Amino acid sequence: MREAVARHVPDGQELLIGGFAFSDPTALAHELIRQRRRDLFVMKTSGGVLVDQLVGAGCVKRLLSCHVWNSVGPVAAHCFRRALEQEKPHAIEIEELSYGAFTMALMAGACDLPFMPTTPVQGAGHFTHRGFMPNKFGVVQDPFGSGPVCVVPPLKPALGFFHVHRADVYGNAQMFGPTGEFRYAMAACRKLIVIAEELVDTERIREHPEATVAPGFMVEAIVVEPWAAHPTDAYGYYLRDLAHHALYGEMTKTEEGFQRYVDEWVIGTGNHAGFVKKLGAERVAELTVRERHW
Amino acid sequence: MAASLFENMLITGARYITNGSVHFVGFHWPMVMARVARRLHAPDAILVYENGIVEDRLTSVFPTSPCDLVAAEGATTCATSLDALYMWLGSGRVRTTLLEAPIVDRYGNVNTTAVGPYAKPKVRLPGSGGGTELGSIGHGLVLVNASTNRRSYPERVDYITSPGYLEGARERAALGYKPATGPKVLVNPLGVCRFDENGEMYLAALHAAVKLDDAKGSFGWPVRAGEVEALPEPTADELKIVREELEHAKRRYYLLPEA
Repeated sequence: MREAVARHVPDGQELLIGGFAFSDPTALAHELIRQRRRDLFVMKTSGGVLVDQLVGAGCVKRLLSCHVWNSVGPVAAHCFRRALEQEKPHAIEIEELSYGAFTMALMAGACDLPFMPTTPVQGAGHFTHRGFMPNKFGVVQDPFGSGPVCVVPPLKPALGFFHVHRADVYGNAQMFGPTGEFRYAMAACRKLIVIAEELVDTERIREHPEATVAPGFMVEAIVVEPWAAHPTDAYGYYLRDLAHHALYGEMTKTEEGFQRYVDEWVIGTGNHAGFVKKLGAERVAELTVRERHW
Repeated sequence: MAASLFENMLITGARYITNGSVHFVGFHWPMVMARVARRLHAPDAILVYENGIVEDRLTSVFPTSPCDLVAAEGATTCATSLDALYMWLGSGRVRTTLLEAPIVDRYGNVNTTAVGPYAKPKVRLPGSGGGTELGSIGHGLVLVNASTNRRSYPERVDYITSPGYLEGARERAALGYKPATGPKVLVNPLGVCRFDENGEMYLAALHAAVKLDDAKGSFGWPVRAGEVEALPEPTADELKIVREELEHAKRRYYLLPEA
C-alpha cells in the first residue's frame, strides 16, 4: 500500500475510492494520512469513517459524495461536520449527488455515453446547489414524449482504488455478495487499482467467473492487503466492527480526540499489518467469517 | 409498563409492512419496524436494500444498517444499486417504501442534509445516500419521524434531500415525477399523518394517549386535522416483541431515545 500511494497518489490527485459502507478500503485512507497527502479531490459514494478521517487529517480539498456518516448509532461523522460547520481543520469544497444519480453518472462514464437519465431531482437541494460541478445535473425533454427528464453527465475519475475480495496476478478481481455500484464505478475510472484481501491462483478465479467485477485488462495494479476494509465488512471474510465504529465516533468528538486516534491507530501502527496487530488476535477471531459459500 | 409513544410508533409503522409483498427499507427505525413486523404478522415480507440485497426471512442478527452485511446472511439475491434503486424501486415492483424523515415539512419534503444555510450550515447532517430516490421514485412511501419537537416539523425545510410534494402536488407532477410516487403517510410518536390532494400533510390518526391539541403543537405550521382516528393500543405480545427488538438493536450499538 505504501508503494501504491507513493507511486500513484501525489498531492492534488483526483481519486474515486470504492466501497459503500462495506468494502471501504480504510487501509488506503490510513496510508494517505501517513504519507500526509494534501489537496485531494476525493469521490466516494458513501463517505463513512474513511472520508471522515481523510477530512479530519486535512488531506481533502474537494469531496464528491452522497452521504458521510458513522455507520453505528447513528452518530455523526464528527470531522466532516467540523469541516463544514466550522472550517476545521480547514474548509472543504463539497458537491453532492444522490446514490442513484451517482450510480448513473458512473454508468455513463463506464459506457462512455454522453449522459444517463436518472431519478427526478428538480426541486431537491442537490439539484439547486452547485459547487465545483456546475453541470452535475441537466434536464432534457423525453424525445418519446413523457416530459422532463433529469440527466447526469459521465463521471470518469482519473484514478480509482477499490477493495475486492480476491484477485490473481493478472488483476482479475472478484467480489461476492452485494456489489452496490462497484462494477460501474470501476469501469468508469481511467486508471484502476484493486486492493485484494488475498491473491489467488487464476484457476480459482475460473471456478467463479461470474464473481469477477473487473477483468484483468481493466486493472493497472494490485495491492494485497488483508483486513483492508476494516472496520467495515468484507462479505464472506469479516463482519462490520461495530465496537470500532463506536470507538472512532467517541474519540473523534473533539479535534484533540481525533488527533489521538490518528496517533494511536494510524501513525503509531506504521502500516496496515501493524493496525491489524493492534486490533488483536481476539477481535480478529471474533470478526472473522468462518463459513464461505464459494 | 404501558407502551411509550416511541414504542407505539414502531408498532404503527410495522403495520405498513405486509406479508408477502416487497418493501424498500431505508436506514434506522424502518429497519426495526420491518423486523418487528416479520416477527408479528409478516414473516414472509420481502425486504430490499439499496446495495442490492434481498432479505426474505428473519436474519439471526439485527443489521445496524442496510450495508451491515449480516443483512445478506442467507440472502436469496445479492445484486447492485442499479437493481435496487431502478429495477426494483423505480420500476414500481416495490409496493411500500420506508424512509426515515427526521426533519420533514408541510409538503412531506425531507431534510437529511443541512440545517441553516447550505454553504455554512448550523448543523450538518449526512446527506442523501439513497434517500432522494426513496422520495422521488418510491411507491407507497411511508415517512418515519421519531421526534415530536417542532424543530423537526418546520413549515419549509432548509434543504430538500428527499423530495416530497415540493411546494404542492401539481409542482411535483410538472417536474417529471411519476404518478403514485411521493409520500403517502407519515408515522411518528403522535400517530399518523396523511397527505391531501395538494400534497399537504394533515393529522389522520393519533395514538391513544395523545390529545389533538398537543399533537398540533408539534408542527411548525397550523396543521389541519381530518377525521382523526384513534389507533389501537399495542397488545402485550406486540409490546414484548418491540422491546426485545429494541434490546437487540441496543446491543448492536443503536442509540435509543431516553425513556
